[in-house]
Amino acid sequence: MENLKSFWPYISKYHKELMIGITALIITDSMTLVVPWLIKEFIDVLPGKPSSGVLLEYTFLLILIVLFLVVGRYGWRMYMFGPSRKIEFDILNRLFAHLLTLDRAWYLKQKTGDIMSRATNDLRAVREFVGLGVLVLIDAVFVIITAVGMMSWINADLAFRVLLPLPIISFLFFYFVKEIGKRHKAVQEHLALITGQVQENLAGIRVLHAFVQEENEKRKFAVLNNEYIKKNLHVTRMFGVFTPTMVFVIGVAAMLSLWLGGKAVITGSMTLGSFVAFNGYLMLLSWPMMGIGYVFNLTQKGMSAMSRIREIFAAQPEIISAPEKERFVGEIGDIEFQGLQFSYPGADTLSLKGIDIKISKGQTLGVVGVIGSGKTTLTQMLLRFYDPTSGNLLIGSHPIKEISLQRLRDSIGYVSQDPFLFSTSIRDNIVLGRGTDLELTEIVRIAGLRDDIARFPKGLDTLIGERGVSLSGGQKQRVALARALITKPEVLILDDAFSNLDSDTEEEILKNVREQLSQTTTLIISHRLSAVRDADTIIVMDAGKIIEQGNHVSLTRAGGVYAGLSQNQSLAREMEIYL
Amino acid sequence: MSRVYMENMKDRYREWVLFKRVLVYLKPYAQWVALAIFLLLGVSLFNLAGPYLTKVVIDDYIKVSDLEGLDVVAGLYLAVLIASFVFQFCQSYLMQYIGQKVMFDLRSKVFAHLHRMSFSYFDKNPIGKMITRVVNDVEVLNEMLTSGLILIFSDLFTLAGIFAVMLYLDWRLTLVVCTVFPLLALGTRLYRVRARDALRKNRAHVTELNSYLEENLSGIDTVQCFNREKINHENFKSINLDRLKEDLRTVRYNALYMPSIDLFSSLAVGMVFWYGGGRFVQDEIQLGVLVAFIQYLQKFFEPVRDLAEKFNIIQTAMASSERIFELLDTPEQIPDQVPPNPDVKIKGEVDFERVWFAYDDENFILKDISFSLSEGESLAIVGATGSGKSTLVNALCRFYDIQKGDIRFDGKSIKDINKYDLRRQVALVQQDVFLFSGNIADNIRLGNQQMGQEEIESISQAVSSHNFISSLPFKYEQELTEGGVGISSGQRQLISFARALASNPRILVLDEATSSVDPETESQIQSGIEELTRGRTSIIIAHRMSTLMHADKILVLKQGEILEFGPRKELLIQKGVFYKICQSQLQGLPTDHTGE
Repeated sequence: MENLKSFWPYISKYHKELMIGITALIITDSMTLVVPWLIKEFIDVLPGKPSSGVLLEYTFLLILIVLFLVVGRYGWRMYMFGPSRKIEFDILNRLFAHLLTLDRAWYLKQKTGDIMSRATNDLRAVREFVGLGVLVLIDAVFVIITAVGMMSWINADLAFRVLLPLPIISFLFFYFVKEIGKRHKAVQEHLALITGQVQENLAGIRVLHAFVQEENEKRKFAVLNNEYIKKNLHVTRMFGVFTPTMVFVIGVAAMLSLWLGGKAVITGSMTLGSFVAFNGYLMLLSWPMMGIGYVFNLTQKGMSAMSRIREIFAAQPEIISAPEKERFVGEIGDIEFQGLQFSYPGADTLSLKGIDIKISKGQTLGVVGVIGSGKTTLTQMLLRFYDPTSGNLLIGSHPIKEISLQRLRDSIGYVSQDPFLFSTSIRDNIVLGRGTDLELTEIVRIAGLRDDIARFPKGLDTLIGERGVSLSGGQKQRVALARALITKPEVLILDDAFSNLDSDTEEEILKNVREQLSQTTTLIISHRLSAVRDADTIIVMDAGKIIEQGNHVSLTRAGGVYAGLSQNQSLAREMEIYL
Repeated sequence: MSRVYMENMKDRYREWVLFKRVLVYLKPYAQWVALAIFLLLGVSLFNLAGPYLTKVVIDDYIKVSDLEGLDVVAGLYLAVLIASFVFQFCQSYLMQYIGQKVMFDLRSKVFAHLHRMSFSYFDKNPIGKMITRVVNDVEVLNEMLTSGLILIFSDLFTLAGIFAVMLYLDWRLTLVVCTVFPLLALGTRLYRVRARDALRKNRAHVTELNSYLEENLSGIDTVQCFNREKINHENFKSINLDRLKEDLRTVRYNALYMPSIDLFSSLAVGMVFWYGGGRFVQDEIQLGVLVAFIQYLQKFFEPVRDLAEKFNIIQTAMASSERIFELLDTPEQIPDQVPPNPDVKIKGEVDFERVWFAYDDENFILKDISFSLSEGESLAIVGATGSGKSTLVNALCRFYDIQKGDIRFDGKSIKDINKYDLRRQVALVQQDVFLFSGNIADNIRLGNQQMGQEEIESISQAVSSHNFISSLPFKYEQELTEGGVGISSGQRQLISFARALASNPRILVLDEATSSVDPETESQIQSGIEELTRGRTSIIIAHRMSTLMHADKILVLKQGEILEFGPRKELLIQKGVFYKICQSQLQGLPTDHTGE
């Protein structure tokens, strides 16, 4: 009920249409119920040898009734299915908007596939509940009550005996659909296993082929596949019994009606027309009887789907933006970490421990350290994807919480190692709807993309992703750089942003960037020391702590971790220099 | 933003051709299919019994007040019901069984075919797309075979059966009733063309909507980072609106078509009233026949409605089968000229003779590469990023076929060796180690189930990976989650060494990792490499000075060409590029790392 209440506003928005739909449905059902009666009248009038005028009257009467029925059926299809689609549309729009407001802490706990399934499958279940569920319920209740009423009116005793087996249908339908659903879930879960295996196979295909594992993998796959068949047949057995049972029960009722009804006609307790009408009503009953069971299933599914969608709506971001109206007066390029500690939600270890570092506007900070030492986490703090667990992060001497998210993120250009590009054109990916693309040519040059773009079929308008060209890792990284540079950010974060480029290109791009953005505070994270060598300050991180701090000369002289790294990497550098 | 995302319906395969190809997969189960169809025929006929028995009851028993005869008919009806139940159960189980078998065959075939593809195929095709082929498309096709196709048969049987019975009962009335058929056909045609179009567009919009949603979810960081929330929401709304429009169009077509069938069916019943009634008055027809006609006509229009809906299932399935056959028709790019022969042994002599290679037949990555290695020699390759080092190694393992020149093993051309036999004797250790889900032991032994725990441990000991593995909570049984989280990059490297040694190769190919690791792991990696290369021909893409200092031969690559090649000592004497690199390196290094 709680579920229904929270979705009620979406439904009541279309209450007028839905009322029209329900009225139309009742008209349809009434007309459907009139038809057997007309047939009864027709059959009873026949033995009296009516004139062809009378026969024509019956024909026209039938067509008249059916015209009402046709209009009614058109009406409820339009005004019950239509609104249910519109409700789905509204909910999905709201859901999407809400998803965009949720923060990293929430997304960390979710799987994309799960959210997708809520937005598609669960939403469909809600739609079916609203459209189909209401329809079937009203239809079934109305038809059952009137048809049973008519049958009892024709012959109460016969009706009682014939109808006895029918409630079994409702029950069986409910039970079967539920049981099938359960078994079907097992099938779905197994299919997920198969998907997983295929996915891993393809991801690791190079290793598998290098070690000639094809036959082994095929064998493993066959085992999974075989198990899948078994699970499927488990469902099938249920289906195999389901439909025939329904047909059988209805058949038994029809047989009883034919048998006992025939006797009643012979003994004269009912007319032949009534006998035919009785059979007609019985035929009308078979679907609503299943419908009752169906409504239960739809409701069950709809309710649990609603609660799953509600969970998303109930989630709230922890990162609350400062109001946008208040103008931020500080200098965003001045950044200071003060004893900052941070642990990821749900983690028991700190990912950043006592970070103290100050960077002034226009300066460059280099960050090095092994994988997992907390370098990227540092950037997440600056973008305010998370708030610090303790300590402070000051932007222009103000706590980061005092700047609106919009202003903060607009001022920071962030380039990651594995950037996410949208599947649109390269141009759209760089401009991202922000202002003009006048300076695009210049930006493309700075990012070292000019030659690449010249080679693409449609230049900047080339689509990327599955629909267009696929970019190499290095190209992606440079598009991401261009997209960050185009707004002339006050802070630029390069998070191992050129790992797929050779160091010549990297150095050239870095030089371009420095020339272009001399007033920009830059944070360079890199595994290649050549990228950070010229930084004003370099920090070495390990296990969330800053373990060394200085510049290239002082750190090399100190003979610590940085000096060791420097020696290790010199071969690579020499190779790049000499070759 | 470009918003056109219509599924490209390149009619590369004609529908009928596709359909026939799908049917081929039913062939192995032909006798079962025949049985299923026979059962189906029975079910359809049994379903026609009701109205006919009603006719019999009215005309033969009620008319003459034969009570006992009525009991017999009731008994007969019950018998038909029971037979129908049995037939229907057998039929539906049988058909599902066949469907599952076909699905198994097809899925295995697609999976196996994927494994026959070469790396250039995997370079070009995103993983998600290939998964869809193996999993979803096969599923859809099965749906079509088991429910779609069969129900169409049953609908057609029912239609034909009703028609036949009506003709038998009274052919004149049947012909009169038939006059509504042209109207029905016209209506159905009008509906089908439009509904098909709406459905296609709708499907395209749904695909677009879902991929937009998915893109925004997986790129949520980027969306928020660039303050794209409002714009993306607007985009989403407009895609959603497009879908809603097509949705409503479909609803409208159905809302028009479905009642039109009511209209046609009642027109037919109206004719029974008028024409049939008239003939009854003239004693040309019996009352029971009229009743049976009315009942049959009501049954007749159900399959018609059904067929219209089935049509959509078939449409979707055709799109899936097209994609599946497209994959199956992609030829194997590296065909083997020689059958596999497990006894083929390579000693380890390697010769490159004027090898040229390009990924795209134009931009050559390897240009005229020639060098040779004797059995047991080690070669270190040096070169800048993009100089062709990895490509050279890939060509050696025959992950790609070279365009010109030849690669020889013990004097035998690479094309005369079965590629599986070759790869069995060449172990490749890549820079990025891929670990499979499962435990560490499984990742070392890969498919080789005979390899016991002791053997795995001694192998790990040899490549210095035993120490860290035994420090893990579950040691060799430690489960590795997706992507191998919880293990450092250096440790992953050590596991891959053990994996390579476990395959006991004749030739070892190693792409040294560049990422920095802690000093302890670093020294374990060094001794691991020494152990791996002992007694076998080895080719190492070197990123560390110490590796260079242990190699017998050195190959210096620059933009796909060999700049220098020869025994290390000779190169040092020549004082070329390699010498320069070494000099500037060794100035800063302690003496014990300089080798001989």
